[in-house]
Amino acid sequence: MTRVLVPVKVLEGGTVSPGLMSLLGTVDVTVLGYHVLPEQTPPDQARFQYEDRAVDALEDLTQEFRAAGGAADYRLVFTHDREKTIERVADDVNARAFAVSGITGDVDRLLVSVTGDVAADRILGFVEEVVGDREIDVTLFAAVKEADADGAADELEVKAERLRGSGIAVETQVAVGAPYKKLLDTVPGHDAVVVGEKAPSLRSLVFGDEAEKMAAASVGPVLVVRHDEALDG
Amino acid sequence: MSEEPTGTNIEGDSPKAEEVIETDEATVTEESELERTLGLTGGLAIGIGTMIGAGIFVFPGLAGAEVGTAATASFAVGGVIALLVALPTSELATAMPKSGGGYYFISRGLGTLAGTIVGLSLWLGLVFATAFYLVGLGYYALDGLAEIGVTVGASPGIIVSALAVVFGVAFTILNITGTENAAKLQNGIVALLLSMLVAFLGFGLLEAFGFVDADTPASEAADVWEVVPVLSVAALVFTSYLGFAQVATVAGEMKKPGRNLPLAMIGSVVIVTFLYVITIFVATDVFDRQALDDAGETAMVEIGRQLLGTPGALIIILGGLLATMSSANASILSTSRAIYGVSKDALLPQWASRVNLKYGTPHVALGMAGGPVVVLAATRQVQLLAEVASFLHLIMYGLICVALIAIRRDEPDWYDPDFRVPGGNAIPAVGALASFGLIGFMDRLSIAVGLVVIAATAGWYFYYAGDVNLRGAL
Repeated sequence: MTRVLVPVKVLEGGTVSPGLMSLLGTVDVTVLGYHVLPEQTPPDQARFQYEDRAVDALEDLTQEFRAAGGAADYRLVFTHDREKTIERVADDVNARAFAVSGITGDVDRLLVSVTGDVAADRILGFVEEVVGDREIDVTLFAAVKEADADGAADELEVKAERLRGSGIAVETQVAVGAPYKKLLDTVPGHDAVVVGEKAPSLRSLVFGDEAEKMAAASVGPVLVVRHDEALDG
Repeated sequence: MSEEPTGTNIEGDSPKAEEVIETDEATVTEESELERTLGLTGGLAIGIGTMIGAGIFVFPGLAGAEVGTAATASFAVGGVIALLVALPTSELATAMPKSGGGYYFISRGLGTLAGTIVGLSLWLGLVFATAFYLVGLGYYALDGLAEIGVTVGASPGIIVSALAVVFGVAFTILNITGTENAAKLQNGIVALLLSMLVAFLGFGLLEAFGFVDADTPASEAADVWEVVPVLSVAALVFTSYLGFAQVATVAGEMKKPGRNLPLAMIGSVVIVTFLYVITIFVATDVFDRQALDDAGETAMVEIGRQLLGTPGALIIILGGLLATMSSANASILSTSRAIYGVSKDALLPQWASRVNLKYGTPHVALGMAGGPVVVLAATRQVQLLAEVASFLHLIMYGLICVALIAIRRDEPDWYDPDFRVPGGNAIPAVGALASFGLIGFMDRLSIAVGLVVIAATAGWYFYYAGDVNLRGAL
């Protein structure tokens, strides 16, 4: 079963919007409650003081995810390094994607970016699973250089056909220009964004800043489909 | 065999302990995970960053003034003793990669009394060491002010005390309120220092062997190549080798502890020993004993000036400021971890390891580190502070070696170190003898102060935690 990791800043009022919970109702969820400590503080020391509160909050969250549909569990980590923690736990639970929480109501339309991504198959497969047989429409998006615009439209159409084959209503959109900016321009009218994690060398970009920025700029949640060495090479 | 600690302290608290699983990347407890985030570079930066401030920038003048070029032998002896202890410490740390370092191994290997003495002495030893680094920092700051033409009316001694106190208070406050990660900064400072030193020492060596000539004065006062003076100086400068124990205090946060802990501890000792010996060689080649004695704590500045003119002096002042700052700051951080290790085991009140809600920092422990540091730094007693710090650490080092032998003699089931010291018990036995033996070469007053501290910690044990049993409890 596909599993999605949902990192939550558990002791700093981090929470998950109801829209994201119901969107992830078709997959299994691991809620990753984390607390980042300054280097002056050994993680162990903070644990004694905060563990009970954090566990309470995580149990409530996990319960809500279960109520939304899928199987759910949680992990609690005290860390100095948020990115390392997310990556380690995502590997550990074999998560196919992780979610950057954002505010949204019911999700009716997903924006799915497949710009320059070798892992398009994995992104499409993930979208199929998440959507399931629900009435959620998809906009497939790719940003390209001017010269490649025609070919890109055709390629995107092929990918759209695959999703239509699974009963999803799909529109396509090709934009010419900087991928990140163009993607943000396209966000209005969509309730959540799905992107692929880039090649490993750029992983930290998507991982830390870009996905967070995207969530902040688009207001809604962002699902980042993870790179997989074994499948993507 | 019971692996749970037992007993309660005078307040009725018992040690906090539970089953945990150690992996390369995290410590997994029943309810949560503790991420390991420090890599080999971070570990080396803590070790080297703590050590070079003292060995390179404060001691060359003091040590060279006593015995001249023979101080190279003193530093070599210190390095060998440090290495003899770093090896057993590595074995124990890979078997018990926990916060608290030496305290943890000794309390588990030798029991609660030895543990309490070492745990509290580690805290106080680090306090003495930090005060020593701050006084060094004060001297460098004073030289820096003089170099840029600022003169202050008060006597130089008062200014050094005042500067040391101001820096001590500032570091404590920064550590309590600062949530920015200073680790990257520390790594950068250490890298910068190392490259400055390599360039500077390289030039110094060329000069020493006559490839270039910086017109250094001819040496008159003879070197003292005699065993007792050389060992006395070794006892004095041993403070330059305390940093590898600081690496052990962050063992709980080290990635792949089985590999990185031994590499960071042994590697940092080897690297600094090499640098110290060359520095002393260059320093005593440029100046004879009399000149070094006149220049005092900041003799390196004058050596820089002699070799490279005013730019040389400025480079050394900048290096000295950075190095003593990084030593002081890293030691304050280790101190709060040492206090945490002891307080977790109910040997100190548990409020000592409270974490501040606003900043997420252990403000009580940092205060217990910074407060006494400031008082001691104001005394400006460089040699006394350094020797008491060394005394308290040497007691711990000797006991670490003894603890290794004790644990090996009756290996508990949980004892499964990734790194084993080769050659049976020979290295820990020699390490213990050398550590205790070096104490004998210290100044009487330093030994007396050290013994008072030890007696006070033992008294605390009988008063506060006589009923707690930690031996053999993982």
